[in-house]
Amino acid sequence: MATEDSIVTLKNVTKTFYRGKEPIKVLEGLDLDVPTGSFEALMGPSGSGKSTLLNLIAGLDRPTSGDVMVAGANLSRMSDGQLAKWRSQTIGFVFQSFNLIPVLTAAQNVELPLLLTDLGSADRKKRVATALRVVGLEDRMDHYPRQLSGGQEQRVAIARAIVNDPKIIVADEPTGDLDRKSADDVLTLMDKLNKELGKTIFMVTHDPAAAEKASVQRKLDKGALQ
Amino acid sequence: MNLATYARRNLFRRRGRTILTVLAVAVAVLIFSAIRTVGVTFNAAADDAMSDRLATRHKVSITMQLPRRYIDEVRAIPGVTGATAANWFGAKDPKERIPFFAGFAADDKWFDVFDDMKVDPAQLAEWKTTPSGVILGDILAKTFGVKPGDRLTITSDIYPGDWEFKVVGIYMPQRRTVDRNSLILHWEYLNNDPRAELTKDQIGWVMTRIGGGVKSADMSRTIDKIFDERDDQTVTMSERAFNLSFIGAFAAVLTAFDLVSIVILLIMMLILANTIAMSVRERTNEYGVLRAIGFPPRHIVGFILAESLLVAFVGGLVGIGLVQVLINMGIGPFIEANMASMFPYFRTPPSVMLTALGLALALGLLAGVLPARGASRLRVTDALRRTD
Repeated sequence: MATEDSIVTLKNVTKTFYRGKEPIKVLEGLDLDVPTGSFEALMGPSGSGKSTLLNLIAGLDRPTSGDVMVAGANLSRMSDGQLAKWRSQTIGFVFQSFNLIPVLTAAQNVELPLLLTDLGSADRKKRVATALRVVGLEDRMDHYPRQLSGGQEQRVAIARAIVNDPKIIVADEPTGDLDRKSADDVLTLMDKLNKELGKTIFMVTHDPAAAEKASVQRKLDKGALQ
Repeated sequence: MNLATYARRNLFRRRGRTILTVLAVAVAVLIFSAIRTVGVTFNAAADDAMSDRLATRHKVSITMQLPRRYIDEVRAIPGVTGATAANWFGAKDPKERIPFFAGFAADDKWFDVFDDMKVDPAQLAEWKTTPSGVILGDILAKTFGVKPGDRLTITSDIYPGDWEFKVVGIYMPQRRTVDRNSLILHWEYLNNDPRAELTKDQIGWVMTRIGGGVKSADMSRTIDKIFDERDDQTVTMSERAFNLSFIGAFAAVLTAFDLVSIVILLIMMLILANTIAMSVRERTNEYGVLRAIGFPPRHIVGFILAESLLVAFVGGLVGIGLVQVLINMGIGPFIEANMASMFPYFRTPPSVMLTALGLALALGLLAGVLPARGASRLRVTDALRRTD
């Protein structure tokens, strides 16, 4: 049931894709509540609809039917332009492959989301420095992604995700491309973001160790939450 | 950092490919400018014609002759400040040091009407009193290796045998489009030679200088009206129209040149479009990330168009540099020295360079439109899945 402090509420959500004319139902009649400030892990076999669900919560896609309410906004009724603006203010993304821009330094990568705000250059720099300090990489500001390890790249990506002070961080297999040590560092950092900064985190993962770090573990199979 | 930083950095992502594309644009701009320069300089003599000089020829064709007395009648018209007559001599160099040069027999007033062909007064005075005397343009004299006082043997397409002349003067151009490869002999000298029996007492054309307050169109009508009832009627035109009538035969070639120059730029656009399309394809995932964190499609379009424009702009600037070095400082002076009859002035004017740069930018923008449109329309989730 939806509660007043739910940051994510999905009601009877269905998502259908089409392969040619053949409909493929990925999510069917799905209900979900994610309380504000929680750290949730979503697990499930490949093809179960994890990424689809994550995309709906992040406002990257719309449901075929049902309502997706995130941080007080009904995403099902928003235009592409409205969704883009909403994402820039509400969501922080962490991807499996880090997805940093190789021609930009760590600081410039972190600064990217701030270019969509009205902040001046000096304010942007302060925020970037703070975000990089939170992830422990203030001394790597001027390094390019190729000069960083995988774990450091993912921490820069996390800094980029939090620099805008988003309400919710969505992470798609954030440890998938990392060794155990780096993965643990990243998970510890995410736990810190959740516990110390109060960020809501919704994470898709195949990694049971990663899921262990979350306060809530959910399983998705054949489009339905178990 | 600002949004342009990303577009600028992308330029040097594939350094080799960007340099090759910039060079392709530069070469296209160079070739376009070179071809346009041919057209522009070909027309330069006409464009640069004196507005107070009129040309009168036989109404049927320039190849038909007019009676000599016509020149006296033209000179008598009020408003005419000077007039001169000439016959085409069809001069040729027997040693073939130069493939073509203008040689004509003119009366004593030639250098009064053509005061942009400057001759030393003493040399001019000697020419007027020396029947076999000729005056040459400075480049032609250099080609022949002659100076005042030397003997010069010339043959003719029209009049048989060798023609012996005495070089009495060198004229210097006072304007850039004056042909520096002409040879001017005495009309009387030709007229008195038995080999010119067929054109005896006839003139090929008349050049008239008119006074300040006289309209050239009015004077043209006045001249032609005088000879309207005669056996040999005339047509009088501005010097510009007269010059254009000689290059009219080349108009089709020049038009073909213009088309080729446009095709060159279109090829440039395709090369640029291919480069941009490859870059965009490689960065699809990145554009997906940018879209995911909130960049609207118009920003993606901006990044791609900015990159395309930057390549076109840098290529255009390099191209203009090449034009300056290779044409204006290289082959231009060489052509002026060796093909002065056709191109007394061969330099790419700034207007052509700016046109080339403008077209390169416009086509650069166009080259980026399709890849930009494609990238901006990709679904974010599809773009994020792309890894190639």
